[in-house]
Amino acid sequence: MKELMADYYTRGAEAKEKGIPVAWVTAVFPVEIIYAAGLFPFYPENFGAVASARKLADKLSSAAEAKGYAHDLCAYSRCGLGDAHSREHPVGEIVKPDLLLCCNTQCGSLSKWFEVAGRFYEAPYFLLDAPQIGIEPDELSKQYYTAQLQELIAFLESFNGKKFDYDRLREVMAYANEACRLWNEILETAALKPAPFGFFDACFHMAPIVTWRGTPQAVNYYRNLQQELENRIKNKVFAIENERFKLYFDHIPLWPKLRWFSDICASHHALVAVSQYTHSWAYSFDLERPLESLAENYTEAFVNRVFDYRIQRKIKLMQRYDVDGFMLFSNRSCKPNAFGLYDKKNIISKITGLPGVVFEADMSDLRFFSEAHVLARLEPFFEQLESA
Amino acid sequence: MEYKEIIEIFKGAAANPGGQAGQWKKEHEGKIFGFLLTDVPEELVHAAGFLPYAVNAEEGMLDFADAHLQTWACSFSRNSLAAAVQGKLSFLDGLIIPQTCDTTRMLMGIWKHVRPLSFMENYRLPRQVDRPSAGDYLHGELKRLKERLEDFRGREIKEDELTESISLYNRNRRLLRRLYMVQVKTPQLLSSKDLFTIIKASMVMPREKVNFLLEQLLAACEAVTGSDHKVERRRLLISGTLLEPLELLDFINEKGGLIVADDLQNGSRYLEADAAENGDPLEALVQRQLKRMPSALYEPQKQRRAKYLVNLAREKGAQGVLFLHLKFCEPENYDYYDNMQAMEKAGIPAMRVETAFGGIPPGQLQTRVHAFMEMLGGEDVD
Repeated sequence: MKELMADYYTRGAEAKEKGIPVAWVTAVFPVEIIYAAGLFPFYPENFGAVASARKLADKLSSAAEAKGYAHDLCAYSRCGLGDAHSREHPVGEIVKPDLLLCCNTQCGSLSKWFEVAGRFYEAPYFLLDAPQIGIEPDELSKQYYTAQLQELIAFLESFNGKKFDYDRLREVMAYANEACRLWNEILETAALKPAPFGFFDACFHMAPIVTWRGTPQAVNYYRNLQQELENRIKNKVFAIENERFKLYFDHIPLWPKLRWFSDICASHHALVAVSQYTHSWAYSFDLERPLESLAENYTEAFVNRVFDYRIQRKIKLMQRYDVDGFMLFSNRSCKPNAFGLYDKKNIISKITGLPGVVFEADMSDLRFFSEAHVLARLEPFFEQLESA
Repeated sequence: MEYKEIIEIFKGAAANPGGQAGQWKKEHEGKIFGFLLTDVPEELVHAAGFLPYAVNAEEGMLDFADAHLQTWACSFSRNSLAAAVQGKLSFLDGLIIPQTCDTTRMLMGIWKHVRPLSFMENYRLPRQVDRPSAGDYLHGELKRLKERLEDFRGREIKEDELTESISLYNRNRRLLRRLYMVQVKTPQLLSSKDLFTIIKASMVMPREKVNFLLEQLLAACEAVTGSDHKVERRRLLISGTLLEPLELLDFINEKGGLIVADDLQNGSRYLEADAAENGDPLEALVQRQLKRMPSALYEPQKQRRAKYLVNLAREKGAQGVLFLHLKFCEPENYDYYDNMQAMEKAGIPAMRVETAFGGIPPGQLQTRVHAFMEMLGGEDVD
């Protein structure tokens, strides 16, 4: 996996050398269009996650903070902006964009970061705007998004100086369908009792579904992983020892403390089996009507939905994986996922009868992490779980 | 009425917005629709026959929000929610939240569970404003909101009803813009805090009454020409998302400062851009929204905010720029570097201060604002 990601960064640098334009892109953006347009997609969020996992987010952030960006902004963006304003590049320099493409379903932090980066690197920026959707999808939002996909394609045609290739788009979408299908089958193995695979494994293996969906490499990667999981099941190799409990987790992991956190869960024989986060990439495209289908899949994702839909979605996942409890991470860096969690916890517990816990920390920045606080929240939760 | 008495009426409404709204409700047996600042088409709410009411820093106790919203959400959203939890907004029949940032996208869900009202709608604004798709979509979204309001009141909102409301609000904006000029030309009559207090009050009072009072106030003030000439005022542009606490303006005035321009949601951004009074009224509201001045909340493709602010400062002869950073306001924070760089390049002195809703303004804010004014050569005003 590490080699594959290293290869991805090398390819980014190579793309630059070969004159293939590098497009900065966000995780829930229809990357299928970028691949079809022959551009190299680069994910600055992935840069932020890598910096965070290596415990370098604080260091990069300080360069951004010196320019007036407050430490309460999304830490991924502080990593990216810090790298831009810094002479030192402890994670390796971020691949500079030739153009920036952002969809704001995930959050507004990304769209502001990309806007700022567009000015900094003097590269054109395109915002794919997605109004929030209620319990039921609405035609108005879908039409708006589809119209913008057409504007995006016109923007790319003008950037590339050539016509957009819809046949190539269908080909890319077919690869994306296959990768998503495999990825979701892999995630389903976490429902087995005991399971060979859990959320922390998924965090480790998710980069290809985020960055390469739409390529044969992603399909091959997940075919191999699926094979490996079948072997694990045959040989009775499981994700944790003596699995007793299954848990649901919201949302992005605590990257710099991933191991610490997973060890705590394992010590209680609790497998974090499922999260809306890793289930985000579950697209199923209709190749006969590519743009509408992209619009439906991308705007109807949970990140673009209201409070009550998100509760329903979480409960459905909890039921499907038959979990014994749930943990909700109030992530300072991620307002849209954190705001509402306090009430959601109470509502979900009331509906399902499951024990739940909310804890405060940051996905990247250890200045907002207190081991004592997290433990003080988790310990009573595990006690409750064990006494149930 | 003496002009000072009129100012006092506005001050009273701003100090006790809920009280005056409750009074109106009792007298008119009408319905009150709250909205969060400020990109909501109040004209539509008014045309439906309801009183639009800006939920704007009712003095709440922030602790009331703690169980529902993290302490690192901005004080505007926390204060608004705290007021609802405390029952200080119990006169509201409806609520409309404009989705202009991550917090406003998430707030309605929480609010619905904490203090449900019979009408609760998000107003899903397009965040890019320059491509043709934005206008088409916004027209659809306004139509959706209009239909929801019609369902609630049980009958159609007719075109001429909406046009009448547009005309009323246009008049209100024109009057407030004139009042802004009174503050610039004759600051001895109207302090900056008085001006912004009147703007704040007008967002919660029946607009017909506001216009009636403003006309009298303007007639009295515009008859006076010439400044007091005691001191030479320093001309300032203030920039940010929301202005609060309003005492900040006193800190500026105390040192001989004068607000000549701003781009605030509860300032000039609320007063500028009228809607057309002929043709399709919904389309008029669409065009008004899309043509408003740049803000951190919308992606500025055609008109970069930093450049707009430099031009505005020059056009109004501003000698300095004060950036307000409402703590935890992400969009505003992301714009700051570019705005500050632009001011440096243009040779316009600028400074940023951190602000928040609720509570007594900290002395530190006063010290910083005074220091900036002195740097600009401002003098004490008695």
